[in-house]
Amino acid sequence: MTYPPSIADPTFVRAPLKWKPQDPVAIGLWIALIISCLLWAMPFVFMLLTAVKSAEDISGGSIWSLPERWEWGNFTDAAERGDLTTSFVNSLVVAAVKVPLGLFVSSACAFALSRIVFGWNKLLLAVIVMGAFVPIQVALGPLFSMMESLDLLNSRLGIVLPYIAFGLPFQTFFLYNFFSSIPRELDEAARIDGAGHFRIYFHIIAPLAGPALAALFIIDFVATWNEYAIALTLLQSQSAYTVPLALGNFSTQFASAYGPLNAYIAMSVLPVLIVYLMFQRFFTSGALAGAVKG
Amino acid sequence: MVVRLPPPAADQRALTTAEPSGSRARSSRRSSFFGAMPYLGPAFAFYAIFLLYPMSEAVRLSFYEWNGFRTTSATFVGLENYQRLLHDDPVFWSAFRNTLVWIVLSLLIPTSLGLVMALGINRRIVGRNLMRSIFYIPAVLAPIAVATMWLWIYNPNFGLVTRSLETIGLGDLSQQWLGDPRFALYSVFVAFVWQVSGFNMVLFLAGLQTVSADVVEAARIDGANAWQVFRHVTLPALRPTTAVVTVLTIISSLKVFDLIVGTTRGGPAQATQVLALWSYTQSFTNHDFGAGSAIATVLLLMSLILVVPYMLWTLRRPDQ
Repeated sequence: MTYPPSIADPTFVRAPLKWKPQDPVAIGLWIALIISCLLWAMPFVFMLLTAVKSAEDISGGSIWSLPERWEWGNFTDAAERGDLTTSFVNSLVVAAVKVPLGLFVSSACAFALSRIVFGWNKLLLAVIVMGAFVPIQVALGPLFSMMESLDLLNSRLGIVLPYIAFGLPFQTFFLYNFFSSIPRELDEAARIDGAGHFRIYFHIIAPLAGPALAALFIIDFVATWNEYAIALTLLQSQSAYTVPLALGNFSTQFASAYGPLNAYIAMSVLPVLIVYLMFQRFFTSGALAGAVKG
Repeated sequence: MVVRLPPPAADQRALTTAEPSGSRARSSRRSSFFGAMPYLGPAFAFYAIFLLYPMSEAVRLSFYEWNGFRTTSATFVGLENYQRLLHDDPVFWSAFRNTLVWIVLSLLIPTSLGLVMALGINRRIVGRNLMRSIFYIPAVLAPIAVATMWLWIYNPNFGLVTRSLETIGLGDLSQQWLGDPRFALYSVFVAFVWQVSGFNMVLFLAGLQTVSADVVEAARIDGANAWQVFRHVTLPALRPTTAVVTVLTIISSLKVFDLIVGTTRGGPAQATQVLALWSYTQSFTNHDFGAGSAIATVLLLMSLILVVPYMLWTLRRPDQ
């Protein structure tokens, strides 16, 4: 069985460390890397430090010092002012519906494109993949009018539908490539035994594509959690806000409440950080990276 | 020994099963298509209704004048929206220029930074996985969260940049990073670099795994120095990765929206305005759906012109 290498094995082979202290170039490079890492981590550390500081500490103390008084209240304060629970529930419900449904739809489509030969497979694939290359913003105006006339503004359904559509191109393309790497002899054998498309899809292709589907699931969750432009257009009442909208709103409404604002940012990114830390290899295997940027 | 050729009939049969021809093939393909419908149907329904239709609506509305309210109807005005765009809308031109600047800068900076990071990390060094995570984590954060973080970093009174400059005695250099039209675009761009470089790094790291260690070894033995190995072995092997990075970079540059909404909203004085945001602003803030759609159409054309050649090239490659 040949899987795309990125999924079957992590990109990085765990080899014993070769530590050669005598090589000055290597040490120089290593130090340069460490410095860049520190630079890269700074915005993050700065946010976390601000999140636990009181207003006096923020304006008075040095930026990198720990707070005089740990202001954990910033988190509860932010959650209350920014109605964090509502937005978390909205985002979770949207993701819980969108991600599995979107994967189901795109995997069925990829299955047909890769396995049922009807002549214009490649053309249809091209049509659907094209969607991945067009900025979402092109469609926002008409999408708004459409949802308004369907009376689906400010509703979770109204946002899940376009989310599924905009997720399809990449997922279909990726799964098409993956399915095409599964040997056709398998479904031919099944077909001879009397299996139809349905059985081949559910009992042969889908189980073999498990790792690919799992990776797409995780990555699509992050992309859905982070989506902003469509949500901004279609959700206007605060009770319907997803997390990115609630964050954007918090930052304009309480622009100078620096402590709570940073606490709010920290809480809003926590779910994707947890997901990232749990499933790192799905993200850092380059093949899938395209999905993260919606 | 006599070599027995297979009888011609068998040959013929093999050919017909492999490539059915004529009306039988057509009817079998047609029945396959009906068999495929339950699988293709849902996806294409979603895609057509919620992606293709709104996009073509945007193109259609660009020839109409409409304020976007359901109570009024759109009037056909021909090319007037485009004429206004080209002749009477200075904001469009600054958005257009900024989008181009953004594309060019992001093809240069986060891509090469990503490559350098990948080259640095692609060896057995202490803390490699941690470093990779530190560089990559910004890419999983919501752009709006990144925008909000950097808004605070650029805060002219207490932000990281200003306070750091003060600490090292260069407080005079401090600027209204996001409030000064001269710096605003580049300041937002720095946040973009912070967010996407690690993403490019991951793509390059995957590409580097395809560089043959044997060829590198052979080049070394032939006396090539590190630069020559990079220039003549590594870089050519990275060509497919570079193509992918280039295309993804162009797309993500055309899509830049959240980051700007979250930091400057296109200001000050439209200095950070980009096409995606100006289209949105014209439609929803200024209630000029015609102008907004015309800008959306320009954006659509730009992305098609920049990306379709790549797509054709990818799809024309034979299946694995």
